[in-house]
Amino acid sequence: MTARYLMGRVVGLVVALVTVSILAFLLMHAVPGGPFDETQSPLPPAAKANILRKYGLDQPLWVQYLRYVWHALHGDFGIPYQSPTETVLALIARVWSVTLPLGAIVVTISFTAGLALGILAALRHNTWLDNLLTSLATLGMTVPNFVIAIWLIYIFSVQLHWLPTGGWGEARLLIMPAVAYSLQPMAIVARYTRVAVLEALAGDYVRTALAKGLTPSRVVVRHVLRNALIPIVTLMGPMIPDLFTGSIFIEFTFRIPGLGKFFVTSIFQRDYPMIMATVLLVAFLWSVTYLLSDLLYVLIDPRVRVGERSR
Amino acid sequence: MISFRHIVWVIVVLVSISGGGAFSATTNAVGKPLPSDAAPPSQQVLNGMTDAATTLDFFVGVYKRPGNVGGNSWSNVLSTPLVRLDKNFNLLPAAAKSWTASKDGLTWTFRLDRSLVWSDGTPLTADDFVATFRLGADPKHAWDFAWFFSIIKGWDDAVKGAIPVEQIGVRRGADPYTLVVTTTVAAPYLPGMMLYSPPLQAKALAQHGPFYNTDPKTSVSSGPYLLEEWTKDQRIVLAANPKYRGVKPYIQRVVLKFGDLKTEFQAYRANEVDVAANFSPADLQVIERDAPLRAQYHQGFGDFRTYYVGFDTSRPPFNDLKVRQAFSYAVDREGLIKNVIKRQGIAAYGFLMPGFPGSQNDALKGIQKYDPALAKKLLAEAGFPDGKGFPKLELWLRSERALGQAVGNAIAAMLKRNLGVEVEVSNRETKMFMDTLNAHRLPFYIVSYGMDFLDPANMLGIWLSGGRHAWKSERFDTLVKTASSMVGNADRRMTMFHEAEKILVSDVGFIPIYFVTPGFMWKPYLKGTALTADKIGVTAWHWPGWDGLSTLHESIYISKDVSKYRR
Repeated sequence: MTARYLMGRVVGLVVALVTVSILAFLLMHAVPGGPFDETQSPLPPAAKANILRKYGLDQPLWVQYLRYVWHALHGDFGIPYQSPTETVLALIARVWSVTLPLGAIVVTISFTAGLALGILAALRHNTWLDNLLTSLATLGMTVPNFVIAIWLIYIFSVQLHWLPTGGWGEARLLIMPAVAYSLQPMAIVARYTRVAVLEALAGDYVRTALAKGLTPSRVVVRHVLRNALIPIVTLMGPMIPDLFTGSIFIEFTFRIPGLGKFFVTSIFQRDYPMIMATVLLVAFLWSVTYLLSDLLYVLIDPRVRVGERSR
Repeated sequence: MISFRHIVWVIVVLVSISGGGAFSATTNAVGKPLPSDAAPPSQQVLNGMTDAATTLDFFVGVYKRPGNVGGNSWSNVLSTPLVRLDKNFNLLPAAAKSWTASKDGLTWTFRLDRSLVWSDGTPLTADDFVATFRLGADPKHAWDFAWFFSIIKGWDDAVKGAIPVEQIGVRRGADPYTLVVTTTVAAPYLPGMMLYSPPLQAKALAQHGPFYNTDPKTSVSSGPYLLEEWTKDQRIVLAANPKYRGVKPYIQRVVLKFGDLKTEFQAYRANEVDVAANFSPADLQVIERDAPLRAQYHQGFGDFRTYYVGFDTSRPPFNDLKVRQAFSYAVDREGLIKNVIKRQGIAAYGFLMPGFPGSQNDALKGIQKYDPALAKKLLAEAGFPDGKGFPKLELWLRSERALGQAVGNAIAAMLKRNLGVEVEVSNRETKMFMDTLNAHRLPFYIVSYGMDFLDPANMLGIWLSGGRHAWKSERFDTLVKTASSMVGNADRRMTMFHEAEKILVSDVGFIPIYFVTPGFMWKPYLKGTALTADKIGVTAWHWPGWDGLSTLHESIYISKDVSKYRR
């Protein structure tokens, strides 16, 4: 792995971001409507022109795009139409500092529990425990997280009055959102871990190691897991940017003032600066995630050499 | 011998025995004595939920203010407008003690209440109103409601940038407490429009810009409440304003949580909010089955919203009156109410809802009614017997939720059954819908309109040619324009509006479906005269709700029962 390889990857990242920004820009301006409200009456042309001028939308598209890029390179991503008293960066910093901790908690819970349960199911393959865990995992993958969320609220807030229906600021407000949000990724991780471990267990080297006299737990930890990890990393990697940018359903249902809702509200409100910012953020996170997981392969599997074959 | 001291002692004893009750009445944080069944002052807190908002002020952004439903806004409470509405929709003097119109009806003089002050001690004067209206007309501010005040002289030109905002027809009069408003044509409904006049402070506007009320540090209020806290995306907290000179509220604190309104009902059931106005069909079933919840559910007017089917009457097939009539006779609105809409609406035969001035719903019943046989006959006469040859239609809806979609689907089914016409229902995103509608490119749709002010000039005015509807009638235009600016002959004016509405209905410019009667719930521990029945028996919170433009906040308080609910 060379510095040249890394440089190549970084250049690729920049190219990806530029491409994504152009596509997003064109798409969002192709959709009719704009950041003005005509639900009651159509705006007189003069009033509409004022609004468009205020947001710089009266310029030709290429001018608007270049202006955007110029400002972005100077760290100015504009002012969100949804919250005109702060900048896009300030808004994202504010709401991401809510979504990120929740995402981190969810990642921790779902990955550790998922891994543990997956390994357990694989080691107890075809026993009642394996069947139970597999069934629960299927349930966790198929029931949408907002359905679980609503059930949790109904039981613990409305009926038992143990927890508030939502909000942010106290530790106990994290419990229900974390549980509801973690179940599906946990189930996915558990199922894939189980399969990966089972495949690894079938390898000849496992029988050799056991024949050599190593204890089963030593075999699992030192040999099986490392081999099972590659497919698992392939799976878990992309889940991280997804969980780190929040779920609009969870945040809506629990009144969490996070980033998730802005992915949707920005589109409906034609909040162009926020649409660009959220799209670029996600593109950036995914690119970085793929780069890091590629580097992680090198650590896990000594046979892997990056830079020899382009990905 | 009885000395002076003895007499004093006797008086003191007598007063403490008899007068003790009067002296020990509790008062809240702004000195308002609480009713005898009220909870202690610390419990006089109102909790509500709100949609996302960027401002509390009308002139900063009409469509981005906090509210939990069309009929209940939580805004404008940091202001005293010129006039307010009571629960019977009567106009009451607020910042303006009185007003008169000139003989030609073009100039209105509002005399302001001299005792009103801002929370920083400065007086509320005409200059504040002038600065506020100038902001609304300012092209740089690009107000989202700029279409509303076209009636004010020079407004449209100022919005265009053709003249400076200082030249609009809103000026200080002979003294700082006189406001003069000049209109382009006579507008007898202008005082009603001046409901939308909650002032911003000229000084704060100049110093901090229009968003000064989003930060407690720069916020200043002339209304019953002050801004105590605004934590973005989390909550707004309002505290009663001790400097307010109007009727002080009992509720000394209002806490508004930002949240998705789909979660409002469950927060209501968990006693985290005191009012609810957003109910899914599942929620309505829960309410129906639970006696206490049912008792808390009140049907209201909302904003006098009419749901109707619209057409593009400039192009085939709907340029043919017979086709429109056929469609109208094929719609069974009574059936819709009975099976689909139920308590959420009443059948509409005209455009103005009963309770709205000028409404003649019953009188119009005979014009557009359910008559499937006649419908078939007319469609055949128009050249499409049994729907043969009729183009396939898309019925557009505007971001409708469960009820709206059910209504759309039911109407499509009726048209298929009664006329043999194929209709596909398409629920479209709001801005895309409005873009197409306003461009007069939308052939067949269902949409609603809720009133902006209480005068037929408003509701019928949206049917004038050149607006959002592809329908035109010169006689209608003449009647409505003339009546709108008619002064001094109220009866003749109303007759003209009646005739205009009749034309609209007879020419099937639209098919009225239903008037929305939204449900509103509040906890049993909320009390006050505002919550009692109005003159036609409606108890729901009246439009515009807990808003500085209404008088709801003057009488509502929390009773002792709250201890059974809140923790």
